[in-house]
Parts: sequence; structure tokens; C-alpha cells
Amino acid sequence: MGVEMKKEKGIKKRNNATEKPQQQQQIPSDSDSDSDSDADYEYEDFSEDGGSDGSLSDSEAGESGESGSSGDEGVANSDVDDGLQNDNGQEDQSDGSESHQGAEESDSSEDEVAPRNTVGDVPLEWYKDEEHIGYDLSGKKITKKERKDKLDSFLESADDSKNWLKVYDEYNDEDVEVTRKELKLIRRLLKGKAPHGDFDPYAPYVDWFKWDDAKHPLSNAPEPKRRFIPSKWESKKVVKLVRAIRAGLIKPDQPKEEQRFYHLWGDDSSSTEKAKHLNFIPAPKPKLPGHEESYNPSLEYIPTQEEINSYQLMYEEDRPKFIPRRYTSLRSIPAYDNAVKDVFERCLDLYLCPRVRKKRINIDPESLKPKLPSRRDLKPYPVSCYLEYKGHTDAVTSISIDASGQWIASGSLDGTVRIWEVETGRCLRNWEVGEAVQYVAWNPLRELPILAVSVGPDVLILNTGFGDEEEQKKIKELLHVETPIAPDDSGNKVSIWLQDDKHEGIRLRHFKKQKQSKSSRSGLREVSSIALFRLDSWGNVSSIAYSSWGCHPKDVTNVAFHRSYPLFASCSDDCSAYVFHGTVYSDLNQNPLIVPLEILRGHTSSKGRGVMDCKFHPRQPWLFTAGADSVIKLYCH
Amino acid sequence: MDIDTNAEEENSRRVQVRFITKLKPPLKVAPTSIAIPSNLTSSVRMSLDNFLLAKAISAEKILEIEYIKAVAPTKHEEPSFHDDWVSALDGSDPRFIVTGCYDGLARVWKAAGVCTHVLEGHSDGVTSVRVIESKGGEGVTVATASKDRTLRLWKFDTEESVNYPMKIRAFKILRGHGGSVQCVAAKKSGDMVCSGSWDCTINLWRTNELDNDGDLVSVKKRKVNDQADESQLEGEAVSTLVGHTQSVSSLAWPEHKTIYSASWDHSVRLWDVETGKDTSDIFCGKVLRCLDVGGESSALIAGGGSDPVLRIWDPRKPGTSAPVFQFSSHTSWVSACKWHNKSWFHLVSASYDGKVMLWDLRTAWPLAVIESHEDKVLCADWWKGDSVISGGADSKLCISSGIYVP
Repeated sequence: MGVEMKKEKGIKKRNNATEKPQQQQQIPSDSDSDSDSDADYEYEDFSEDGGSDGSLSDSEAGESGESGSSGDEGVANSDVDDGLQNDNGQEDQSDGSESHQGAEESDSSEDEVAPRNTVGDVPLEWYKDEEHIGYDLSGKKITKKERKDKLDSFLESADDSKNWLKVYDEYNDEDVEVTRKELKLIRRLLKGKAPHGDFDPYAPYVDWFKWDDAKHPLSNAPEPKRRFIPSKWESKKVVKLVRAIRAGLIKPDQPKEEQRFYHLWGDDSSSTEKAKHLNFIPAPKPKLPGHEESYNPSLEYIPTQEEINSYQLMYEEDRPKFIPRRYTSLRSIPAYDNAVKDVFERCLDLYLCPRVRKKRINIDPESLKPKLPSRRDLKPYPVSCYLEYKGHTDAVTSISIDASGQWIASGSLDGTVRIWEVETGRCLRNWEVGEAVQYVAWNPLRELPILAVSVGPDVLILNTGFGDEEEQKKIKELLHVETPIAPDDSGNKVSIWLQDDKHEGIRLRHFKKQKQSKSSRSGLREVSSIALFRLDSWGNVSSIAYSSWGCHPKDVTNVAFHRSYPLFASCSDDCSAYVFHGTVYSDLNQNPLIVPLEILRGHTSSKGRGVMDCKFHPRQPWLFTAGADSVIKLYCH
Repeated sequence: MDIDTNAEEENSRRVQVRFITKLKPPLKVAPTSIAIPSNLTSSVRMSLDNFLLAKAISAEKILEIEYIKAVAPTKHEEPSFHDDWVSALDGSDPRFIVTGCYDGLARVWKAAGVCTHVLEGHSDGVTSVRVIESKGGEGVTVATASKDRTLRLWKFDTEESVNYPMKIRAFKILRGHGGSVQCVAAKKSGDMVCSGSWDCTINLWRTNELDNDGDLVSVKKRKVNDQADESQLEGEAVSTLVGHTQSVSSLAWPEHKTIYSASWDHSVRLWDVETGKDTSDIFCGKVLRCLDVGGESSALIAGGGSDPVLRIWDPRKPGTSAPVFQFSSHTSWVSACKWHNKSWFHLVSASYDGKVMLWDLRTAWPLAVIESHEDKVLCADWWKGDSVISGGADSKLCISSGIYVP
């Protein structure tokens, strides 16, 4: 401020130096003049209205430096002027500091000092009873000034020579002294002039409109008469309409009801104009945002850090596109990165995937299911285990039931072959064959109760000793072989029959270590599903697997069909055997009926193997299962 | 105490009852009536309340309850050990017990642990033994069936006092079955036996010695040629009853004319001996393994099979083969069932679960459970009217005596 002031002062001094003789006493107090231009203009101004208005010029003369121009009046007011100037000098100083404060707060130099009070445009009666009049910029209360007595104020005003310049500002609760500039403005307004001195009301007129090219000049013709006469035809038409309305022929339109609200997320398909078109297929709506898309979803929607980490391990397609996050306010949500991409993909989807109206038959899916007969109707089938055949010391690999169903033979990894009585579970025969037994089979002919056993690389034919003497005689003849003369030349031989005296049977010895004779079983280890083959009347297995399905959780070890009942069973390493009902119809178009009936459990797992073999009783709906736990179980209906 | 209910009276929630008995004084109570809760459940099939409702007994009278001694064995005698599983026994003669064993021998026991005779000759396990009703006198005839496809008839004297088991050879061998013989039953008069076999047939045989039938001549000849022992005869079947499709497992010949047979083909058949035709069938749905005829007017059929249910049929009921009673307290196959020869209501049943149960037709639960066997019980019978004998896979013959059967 100081710098500016000095500058101004310097200029003033220079200016005033020319006028020195006229206004000597005013020089020290001439600090309130704004600028050079102002000073000049003031000169002009005052010279103009020099003798026009005496009453106002009195005061003017006191302030301005041109008091000399109107000498007669200047003398009369000289006293007043002096006092005024003195006051002015003091006031100006304080004003200057105030104006500077104001300048700090508002940039525009034109603005007056910003109002002290910040209450705004409110009726001031609201503060009538308050101690304060409002608040200043820093929020402090502006306390009201003390009310003076009328007498005091009068005396004060009488004393104060400048009293006439003071105006009480209600808003800020202070007395404001009108500055010179303002005074000038007021004067101009009172004279009916433009408030600003710069404005020239009589500037030369510039006609910007080009009249030369105007082809259709505005007509100057008087309004025709018909414009003022009401139309006869119109009134006739109105009468007609009125009559029609009265007769009820025309119903005046009801004002159309504007729908105030509309369903923002509603389906386009409901819009009537589009639905009119027969082939219009509305685009599928994108999924609406749910709770997890909220800016502040509840905690259960927020994935944990572990989950977020696990997303990184997922495939790009499986990864969730949106991870819910919490924000304290809507304002703090960042811009969505993929907004453009999403819209583009949506458009691409709509464009690239043509929509086709599908003809859908309305069928209850339940009705398409095959009607399975109830298990009760499919009785009898093996249900529960009543008998156990115990005696083996290792996993029972194979079982076989005699054609009559009276005996059951079993071979085990403990190197024994046993024959049991089905009825009682008694072990009737026991052969120690030395090696693990892979397979046992009864002769299907009842007249020759002999047993074939595959042991290691050999096949043993055993005489069970059942049957009467004649049958035994026959069997013994059958099982008699002459001992080979030279066993050493058997290099080119694959196998040879030997008499096995120990077990009262014969032995088919395989010289080359070959695969077991029972090759059909070898592949079964890896099969985990059951294939059902159609057995036609000749017993041939047709090559078409009717159906295959997996139900066992582990390897299926064996499957068995019942000879007379429509049953089949499968056993598996999961220590269970499944019993199914299976009917194949002679009509090839009809699918075979397969009903799972029962899961037979009871065996315990041993060395990872469960049930090794299952066989049906030839006559009864009973199932024998041979377990790796060295027990044979009989499941009865 | 078993309760034999008769007569009437009820009092809202309490029933006036009076206990009566035919027992002798020490077991008698004063004949005053007392009030007991009506929802009391006895070993009768239902609570008293339901019983009164079911029988439509007036509520105003005093219910008379006859009490009897519990039908339960009071004494378990020392088991008689065999060399092998006891597969069959017969206690129809009060003087002795005949047992069949898997070692091919049949034994005659006078009492627990007292073996008097060993019947030797079968080459395979004995499956069934039956005492043939003798016409008085000391000599007793016994028929045994075996897995070696033959039946043998034996004769011995019961009054012989011996210190050691006496070995006896069969006097007659009956050959003709094509499978192991599963059961044998004798006619009341004692002159014929019938046998059922795994070859699905029932054969009828004569038991008489040295008969003058024409078909025996050739047999005699052959016997003379082949057999070392002169006294052994061979017999052929008089007739064969064909009809069963699977093994005949049990037979009963209670009357002169009719043979009852149970088979693995799930049926019970009644055969007319004279015509050799089956007169009626009862189908069961399960394999039948034992059968006995008795009960009310000796007409009810008790049977057990490949399930834990003991079934009672009444063949006189027309048009149905549903059992009239079913008892299912066993947990495994029922291997044997026998009617008491005097009582109409009492039954014994044996099962593979190792239990022998005593039944009254009028109750739903067993009167007594005998658990003297550690393994499967294969056969059971009444003996002397007050004992139950049973044999099983633990090679024991158990005698539970002191059973009061009214």
C-alpha cells in the first residue's frame, strides 16, 4: 500500500504543482483523489456544471480544487470547507486503510467495500431484538452500536459540519460518509444525466442496417378491414361443432394423461409400438445391478483377500468381472474403467447374435422321464445278508455256484480252493493248491460235478467227490491221464496234461509263462462302467451296448446276470455290490428297462480291493459276493 | 408269568381283575379282585385296554385272568459234544434222542452226554433223522437221510445197557435219489417213510425187513453178490412224487393220507399219498427250509425259510396262501421249527442267529429265548414234552429242560 500511495502522491504533487497558487491549503489533504484521469475528468465535470446548481456546488466547492472557478459561493462556505477538509483528512486516512482492506478481499476495483455483514438478503427485522446485527466474514457476531439519544445525535450532527454527508447504513449498522465520487454520481442522477461521466448520450449515430439490398421492405400499408371483422364462416363452423357436441356426436378430447413416472428398468418388449411388429424380438436385457454392485454393499458381499487371490488363479472367463468394494460415499467411487468396453461388447453381442424366435413345445419335463416301476413290484431281488462263508485267510478272488445251487466253490489268494454248502455255510472240501487261485468254475453239467481252477500258469481239474458211485467212476475215468513219456521235449509244446495225485485231479500245465486262460477277465479291471448287452434267444451277445453308465465310485470288478430272474449285479472295489433289474424287450425300438434296485454293503476293504466277485444263485434271487476281506456273503431276497 | 385271559370288566382307567389258576396251592393267590391300570401290557398281544375293545368285552365285569407257569426252560443241561456239526435230531421218543452229524454218523443219546449207540454207515453228512414209530417193544427203527444220496434204516434196542457207545450198521439202505437227500419223514403206522431230495422229488419207501415185494428180489440178488454184510438190505422207492421244481427241504407225514412238503421253490405242497398228486399249494415267496404240522387239530403248518420270519399257515382257509401268523423275532434264517406234540399253541424255532425261541401262537413275542449255542442252530425239537433239544454248528447238542407247557 505504501508504495502505491507514494506514487499517487507523487503524481498528485506534480499535478497540483500547476494549480498551486489556487489551492494551496488543499495540497496536504488531497490524497483521496483516485488517479490522474479522474482528476482531469473532475475538472471538466465541474467546469460544466459550474453555475447551474448553486445548492450543491456549495459543498462541491469545498471538496474540489476548482472552488476558485465559482468564487462568489466559495467565500461563503470557506469556513465550512476548512472544517470539512480537516475532517476529510482524518477520515480519508481511515478510509484509505479500510478501502485497502476491502481491496484485499475482492479483486474488482470497481466494487465497493464488501459488506461487513454476511447475513445476506434477509429482513433486518429478524435482528431487531438481537444484540448483534449479523456476522462478519470470520463468523463473529457484529454487535450493534449503542443507540444514542435523539438529543445527543442532534447535537452531534449540529456540531459535525459533515453531518449532511453521512448516511446511516442499516445493514452494516454504521454511518457511512458519502465520498466525493458518490456525490458526483448522485448529482448526475439528480440532473437526469447518465450516471457515469464517460457515457456520451449524443454520440453520432451509425446506421448498421444495409437498406440498399432489402428486397421486401416492410409494408407501410394500413391494416385491412377484414382483420377487424369476425369471420362469418368461422362462426358457422363453431355453431356446427357446438351442435354436434351437444348432440353427443363429438366428444371433446379428454386431456391426455401424461405418465408421471415410468419404469426405468422395464422391458422394451412391453412397449406397445414395438410389440405390434410380428417379428420384433426384444433384445435381452443385461443383468440388473444387485446388492453387490452397490457402492456400499453389506459385508457378506465383499470378497476376502484370499478369495480375491484365488480369482487370480482362475481362468480369464471364469473370473468374476466385478469385485464388490466399499466406498464411504457415492462421491468417492472412481470412474469405471471398462465402461466403454462394456458398452461396446454389449452392442457387439446384440449385433452379432441374431435373435431367432424359437418354437418351444410346452411339455412337462417330468412326463418325459421314463416311468420306472417301483422296487416293490420288482421283487424278489437280493436285499440282506444272512449267511457268511468264513474260512479263507486271504482275499477271495473267484466264486462259482454249482448248477443245482447246492454248493459254491471259491478260490482265494491264500492258495486254497473250497467248496461250501450254500444252505448252511459249511465248508465241505478244501484243497491246498499252493498258489493264488485266480478263477474257479463248476462244470455246468450236473452229472459231472468237477471243478476247474486256474492256479498260476496252470489249470487244475478237481474231482469234488459229489455224486454217487457210478458218477464217481465216470469222473475218475475222465480225469485219468497217462503220464507223458518225455517231459523234456515239451519245449515246443504249449501245454500238457498231468495227473495230479495230490488233489485227485489233473493239471493242465502251461510251459511258457503265458497269460491266464481266462483272458476275458483281464480287461475288466479298468472298466468303471457297466455295459448292458442284449442277449437274444440264442444266447449271442449283440455288439451294441444298450447303455452304459457309471455308478460305482471305484473300479467295477465283476458283473453277473441271473439265469432266470431279470436281475443283474455289479460289484466294485468300493466294497459294495449293486443289484439292477434289467428287462430287454423284443421290440428293438423300445429301450431296455433298467432299474437300480439295491446297494449291498457289508464287505470291508482290504489292500484297496473291495468285492472281488459276484455271482447269482442259479435258481434263487440270491447274490453271492466274494470280498477281499476273505469272506463270501450271501444276500437273500 | 404268561397270562391267559378270559372274562370281563373294566373301570374307566382301571380294570378289576381276578387271578385264577389251575396250579397247585403254593402258587395260588387269594381269589379277590384287584384293580390294575388298563393300559398294562402283558405278554399278550396287546394292552388290556385294547384287548377288551378287540374282544368287545363288557366293561362292567371282573376280568378273570388265569395265570400259568412261564414257558421257559429252568435248566440247561451240559451240552453233548459231537465230532462235527449237528445237522439233525429227533426227540419224538421220550426215551432217547437221535442226532445226525456232518461226520456221517448218527448218534443215539439217552440223556445229556450219554451216547448209547452210534449209527455208522453214511459216507457223507447226515441231513435228517427220524424215529419210525415202532409197534411197541424194545426194538426201535430209525431212518436217516444223508448227503450221500441214500437213506438208511437202523434198528437197535433201547434197553441194552452198555458202557460205551455201541456201533450199529444199517439193516436197510434206500437208494434212488439223484441228489443229496435232505429230509425224511415217517408214516404214523411206521411201515413207510418218505424222503425229499435235491433232485426235486419225494420218494416213498417201505421200511419192513425182507419184504416179499417183487422189486426187492433183484436187490437181494445184488446184495448177495456185492455186499459183504449179509444183513444189509437195499430198497427201492415205492413211488415218487414229482412236482417240486427245486430241492425238497422238509417233509411232514402227520396223517395217513397226506404228506406235507416244503421246498426251495417257495411252495408248501400237500400230497395225496394214494394218487401221488399234490392237492394244494401254498406259495410263500421265500425259500422254505423247515416245516412242521401241528397246532389246532394238527392242521396248522409252521414253516421257516430264507428269512427271519416264522410263518404259520392254515391250509383249511380257502383261497389264500397268506400266513395266519408271522413271527419275526429272529435275525437270520429260520432253520427249524417244531410244534409241541400236546399243546396247540406252542412252537419251538431255531435260527442261524444262534437262538432257539419258544413261541405261543397267542403272543407276538417269543415266550423264551434260549441262547445256549454260539453258532448257527441247525435243528431243534421238543423232547419228553418239557424239554427243548437243539443242535448246531458249534457241534453241541443242547438240552433245555423244565419247560412247563400246559
